[in-house]
Amino acid sequence: MTAIRRRSLAAAAALLAICVSTSEAQSPPRGEYEIKAAYLFTFARFVEWPARSDRDDSSFTICVLGTDPFGAALDTTLADAVIRGRKVGARRIAAAEAATGCHVVFVSASEERRMAATISSLTASGTLTVSDAPKFAERGGMIQFVTAANRVRFEINLMSARDAGLTMSSELLRVASAVRNGSGPAE
Amino acid sequence: MSKPHGTISRRLTWMNMLVSTVALIIAGVAFAAYDLATFRASIVRNLSIKAQMVGSHSVTALLFNDPAAAEETLAALRASSDVIRAQVFTPDGRVFAAYSRDGSPALPPPQIPPGLTEVSEFDASSVYLARVIVSDGKPVGIVRIRADLQEMYDRLARYALIEISVLLVSLAGALLVSRVSQRAISRPLAAVAAVARQVSQDKDYAVRAPHVETPYELAVLVDSFNAMLLEIQQRDRSLQDAQAQLEARVRERTEELHASNSELEAFTYSVSHDLRAPLRHITGFATLLHQHAGASLDDQGRRYLTTITDAAARMATLIDDLLAFSRMGRANVSKRRVELSQLVREARDEVSADVNGRRIAWEIHDLPPVDADPSLLRPVLVNLLSNAVKYTGTRNEARIEVGTESRAGELVVFVRDNGVGFDMAYAHKLFGVFQRLHRADEFSGTGIGLANVRRIIQRHGGRTWAEGALDAGATFYFSLPSQGGAS
Repeated sequence: MTAIRRRSLAAAAALLAICVSTSEAQSPPRGEYEIKAAYLFTFARFVEWPARSDRDDSSFTICVLGTDPFGAALDTTLADAVIRGRKVGARRIAAAEAATGCHVVFVSASEERRMAATISSLTASGTLTVSDAPKFAERGGMIQFVTAANRVRFEINLMSARDAGLTMSSELLRVASAVRNGSGPAE
Repeated sequence: MSKPHGTISRRLTWMNMLVSTVALIIAGVAFAAYDLATFRASIVRNLSIKAQMVGSHSVTALLFNDPAAAEETLAALRASSDVIRAQVFTPDGRVFAAYSRDGSPALPPPQIPPGLTEVSEFDASSVYLARVIVSDGKPVGIVRIRADLQEMYDRLARYALIEISVLLVSLAGALLVSRVSQRAISRPLAAVAAVARQVSQDKDYAVRAPHVETPYELAVLVDSFNAMLLEIQQRDRSLQDAQAQLEARVRERTEELHASNSELEAFTYSVSHDLRAPLRHITGFATLLHQHAGASLDDQGRRYLTTITDAAARMATLIDDLLAFSRMGRANVSKRRVELSQLVREARDEVSADVNGRRIAWEIHDLPPVDADPSLLRPVLVNLLSNAVKYTGTRNEARIEVGTESRAGELVVFVRDNGVGFDMAYAHKLFGVFQRLHRADEFSGTGIGLANVRRIIQRHGGRTWAEGALDAGATFYFSLPSQGGAS
């Protein structure tokens, strides 16, 4: 117990350090993907997944599909991180079919060509899909990073999340720059 | 004894009012203090709830670096009129989002001691509350809210108003209640006081204070007071009865005395009067016998006759004196201004007729006029002067002095001689009827003269007395009330 608590405190410290650094200059000072890595982890705190037999819920897995834009940032962020008492791990996968066991899948821009199939596949498997590909949310992705005025924000497609059986906290929706209720342009 | 301010009734009322006031003020202050303490706690609690809500709604804003969302959350505080400033800080103390009503100045980052999640402090006008925003067990920021204490002060003012109203109403109530309740004490006391005043002013012991059952002390007081009055009343009545009886008895005795006195005088008068007729016969026939048979009688017979005539003459004098004395008891005294010196000279001339060549040195001082009845005062002077002449008969040269002394309220006249005098032990007998200090064969006299003097002087309102010593002369005094003095 003590060890777990210590680890979670360390993770919080890391997160706070990011928050502080981001608010400091109102622009991403450390790489954009360091912030996105932290957000990936933070999203998980405001989303609930339905239980699935093909997924191990004793730990928490964040997967990167396609070319990994994070580099070491993701692993650094997730080191010792804990979500609701569960260890968090990262995996790199090459195809949507390999996403079994992933709670969150970051779809790299490199997957642009197979995007529609990827999205529908991941949605069907009850996975939270995140990407910074343009029009990702419009095309059925759940969370899409957008960068406006040098700040990293995100849009949410609530309908997709519901289709996947995921529940998003209203607090998360509140800080989204846009919330969609289906395919098509944002409201 | 007009009604003063310090009546018992007023005292009791004031005491009641004072007690009520003090009790109400203490109770009111205690209630207000308790309520304010409770209210402060509730202010802090309410503020804490607001801070918690702001905090929980600011978690994502902090985590996703969205100050606009945090400001939106803070803006909801607009609904709370007491919140004048709210700020969300990042954990390292920078302002993340702020809300301000009426341009209230920015708040410095709070100091929250480690181990605490919330601190609150009060100053004169505001309360400050800071709370750590925690997400998933980790601090992600701090919210700090400043609220004014307007509501608390309003409440305080309302309390003061209510307190004053309650005080006034209670005092009015207490006044009424005390008016009624203290009657049990003040009324009997006032009644006793009124009765006591009536008793001391009017000497009316028949009044009674109304009886009361309670309180016990007053019941005892009233009953004892009434018992005392009854006792006084009874004594007063018996005293009056005794006095009335005494007066009646005195009146009775006086009447009896008057009756017997006038009886006695009537008897004396008639006896004296009736004695004169046989006495005239004795004198007359003794004189006739002397003329008719005087020559044929021998010396002894003539001496018997002379003795009879002398005795009869002396008896006539005695009867005259007694009649005069008796008349004096009834005669009216008609006072007027009398030249005392002239009266004394006339009296001296009258008594000098019997002196038969004796050597008498008269010394008569200047005498003032007096208020007296001259027809009565003359026999007094004649009597005293003739006594003086009579009792100096054995002296080669008699000295007789007449003078006056003025004393308080009376004029004292004295007649002093150098005669045989008298023993002071018998001085009290001098002025009695038939009281003689010398044998009749030594100095002639009936024993009525001085008694007559005393009677006349007493009827003038004066006194008589005498001083003397055996063979060393005597001084007889009588006094007359001064002019303008007692009549």
